Amino acid sequence: MKVSVKGHFRDLFAFKRLVPKRRKRILGAPDTPVTSDAVNALARSLHPEAMHLIIDDIRDETPTTKTFRLVADKAAGTTDLAFFRAGQYLSIKTAVEGIAISRPYSISSSPREALDGFYEITIRKKAGGFLTEHIWNTWQTGQTLVSSGPAGFFYYDTLRDTNHIVGFAGGSGITPFRSMLKDILDNDIDLSFTLLYGTRCADDIIFHHELKALARKAPERLKVVVVCSEPDESWKGPRGFLTKDTLRNHVGDVTDTTFFICGPPAMYAFLDTELAELQRPVKRIRREAYGDILDITRYDDFPRDVIETTFTLTVHMGRETREIPAAATESVLVAMERANLAPPSQCRSGECGFCRALLHTGTIYVVPGNDGRRAADKKFNYFHPCYAYPLSDLEITVPKTD
Amino acid sequence: MAERSTVPRLDRSFDVVVIGAGNGGLAAGAQLAVKGARVLVLEQHNLPGGFASSFVRGRFEFEPSLHELCDVGPPDNKGSVREFLEDDLGVEVDFVSVPEAFRLILTDDGLDVRMPFGLDAYIDAIDREVPGSRDVVRKFMDLSRESLDALGYIAEAQGNPDRKVLAKQFTNFLKTAPYSADAVADAVGVSEDAKKLLFPYWCYLGLPVSRINFTLFGAMLHKYITKGAYIPRHRSHELTTALDARIRECGGCIEYNTRVEQILVERGRVVGIKTARGDTIATNRVIANTSPTTVYNMMIHPRDEVPAIAYKYVNARIHGVSSFVVYLGLDASPDELGLDDYGYFIFPHMNTDALYESLQRLDVPIANAAICLNRAIPNCSPPGTTILSMTTLYRPEAWEGVRPEEYFALKSRLADGFIAMFEEATHTRVRDHIEEIEVATPETFARYTRTYKGIIYGYEPESWDGLMARLMSLKEDRFIEGLEFAGGFASRAHGYSSAILSGQTAALLTMKAIREKAEVAS
Repeated sequence: MKVSVKGHFRDLFAFKRLVPKRRKRILGAPDTPVTSDAVNALARSLHPEAMHLIIDDIRDETPTTKTFRLVADKAAGTTDLAFFRAGQYLSIKTAVEGIAISRPYSISSSPREALDGFYEITIRKKAGGFLTEHIWNTWQTGQTLVSSGPAGFFYYDTLRDTNHIVGFAGGSGITPFRSMLKDILDNDIDLSFTLLYGTRCADDIIFHHELKALARKAPERLKVVVVCSEPDESWKGPRGFLTKDTLRNHVGDVTDTTFFICGPPAMYAFLDTELAELQRPVKRIRREAYGDILDITRYDDFPRDVIETTFTLTVHMGRETREIPAAATESVLVAMERANLAPPSQCRSGECGFCRALLHTGTIYVVPGNDGRRAADKKFNYFHPCYAYPLSDLEITVPKTD
Repeated sequence: MAERSTVPRLDRSFDVVVIGAGNGGLAAGAQLAVKGARVLVLEQHNLPGGFASSFVRGRFEFEPSLHELCDVGPPDNKGSVREFLEDDLGVEVDFVSVPEAFRLILTDDGLDVRMPFGLDAYIDAIDREVPGSRDVVRKFMDLSRESLDALGYIAEAQGNPDRKVLAKQFTNFLKTAPYSADAVADAVGVSEDAKKLLFPYWCYLGLPVSRINFTLFGAMLHKYITKGAYIPRHRSHELTTALDARIRECGGCIEYNTRVEQILVERGRVVGIKTARGDTIATNRVIANTSPTTVYNMMIHPRDEVPAIAYKYVNARIHGVSSFVVYLGLDASPDELGLDDYGYFIFPHMNTDALYESLQRLDVPIANAAICLNRAIPNCSPPGTTILSMTTLYRPEAWEGVRPEEYFALKSRLADGFIAMFEEATHTRVRDHIEEIEVATPETFARYTRTYKGIIYGYEPESWDGLMARLMSLKEDRFIEGLEFAGGFASRAHGYSSAILSGQTAALLTMKAIREKAEVAS
């Protein structure tokens, strides 16, 4: 077969001219450097590696709850706060007695308020909680903090969710819902939202008046129901836990609704049972990540014989190798934090993979139901230290992180 | 020169430092480690792969970027990629074959046709749709095969082919190499209707067929049709994690969460790198798995080591496109949804000039390359569910004016229209079954890889900057001694298979340079 495109000799000449032609085009181009990249700039603006923040204001919400207003620490290099989706969290880094740890906190302010220059996070003091104890003692106005960019997947999506949403909030799990309600009003989002908020007693209700005020602004779309489990006599509202009856009484037909759930682990377990009867499809029930497991021995299949054991964890991080103790009942992540290795972490719920590490030797227990590992990671022995517990001595590699 | 004296103490030294653990960087790192070089791969993200990765949402693990790997072939008819991975590197990946070439739907033309793999079957299918086109299409495919054979010969000759052999055995290759795919199709008499069935893969190279270099397009088309297409069973993350494992097994080092900020250069040659953490590492060889645009404009230190010609080289070339992908985890099976095919190309028509033109505007996309993963890997998601992804391309400039506060709503609006277009063209209803949805934009690709402008393809392989023009200019394209490139922006152009093989090329060139230097020294 003989083929010509523009004629035999013209084609061969064109081939001969390929390199000279290219050379000529290159020599003829300007020698100006490229100095901007708007797409990467947008990426860094939405997803900064870290944000430097200052505590600008502290508000008491309840006797045990405070809201911290955070603004950009311009002197440290953060000029603007990243925009976010209502329901997302910040992973805040802090040092407790010299030990670097990080915790995810839902942003309780609205996305629009980030544009106005602030985020708010709202924290409840836990009895005996060493971190919240530390926060109460040391976080003052003017103090600086470092956080991740906004993260997490607990947000509504108009293409995925129904336009009626029922939020189940338990205790301090109310925080992302405040952001959502404000967002719906700020941006006139085409959603109706029924918030069912379960709390212990009237004193514990976070944002009570504010939530009622938000609902009054758009009564046809926003509804807030507070249910107290242990109220005193003065409480006039509904009593008990959030149940399917709460749903029946305050929502009615749930065929075209999506449930958003955020609260303590006990509430998740309880609601799972309550809502199972309704046979809602998986896509209609969305749960915020659980966070740190308080007591791993709650899981029936966690081996009983190791509960008292402390294993040796050999950690390769960057160029360093350290041998540290690791109690069977504490996650591999916490063991590394106790040894002040400052390991990477973000969701602390097994799902985001930010703490991904390589297991060379040893056996781990992975928290059931929240194994967010990639299939190939399982094949090649990677795991998520935040949701893994040592069942033997372990040798692992963790990337060094700033 | 005061600036030079500030080069800090170098903490460690390696024969080669690979910057970036994308397909190209990992392939280069693995090849070097297998050959016994002391290699360090540095990656700014916490995972290997760059675009070749995976992500989990709820019950689903999504493939971020791969549609189908070219040049893998079955075990008994290996393509270059499988040969390289299995025979040269000793890497085993569980590859699964893609059932059919593609289903093409041209909505304005009312065309809806399934195209098979296999040369005869493919030509038969075109002839069925456009009777009488058998001979010219076969001619086009023969020319494509000749391009492939010639490239094989050039590779065997290690880039120094005998010109006489080329002139004698590969005349048609020489004569078609300066032209576009469209010009060559015209020259052999392919009708406009037959072209429609010959050109859908244009979107894997991302420029109109009037500008795609024939050699590259023909070679790609021929490989797909004759060797089929493959995907790793556990998403691309399986491929890139396997490469990572092999590098470490052979004594190479990989460090994640470690961004290289500077390539240190002295008197025109690489002397080391500096990380964002401030560590410095001595090396005389760097393989950059990132664009020359990024390297020359942002990484070479000190800046006056970048010659003017390097800026010209970058500015003369036309950077490729970025992408927009809607990932859907659906709570119904492919059968229930009526998703019968693995790969869909859905365009209004096959006027690729007009389609490309549309990529410059931030409108609802009109060109859609969709994948129903379950049609290749039925159990890639739980029983009764489906993974469907839809991809289009954008010129990155279309996204440059987007403000953070409009970003999320914009993604939703474009995804909404994009899904509607898919449903209309395929007569399916997927919207009611969305359990998980994620949308990637140029910003997303920039977020995870820092690729220049979020570009997923490299420089556009027009004929003047096509495969042959690049391969014959390898030497003069080197402006700093000890610096090679791998990945989609390197000499072999973009796409998974090209990026992987570019890593092999960069590694072999680097090994050669190391050996030559050792000989000189002894």
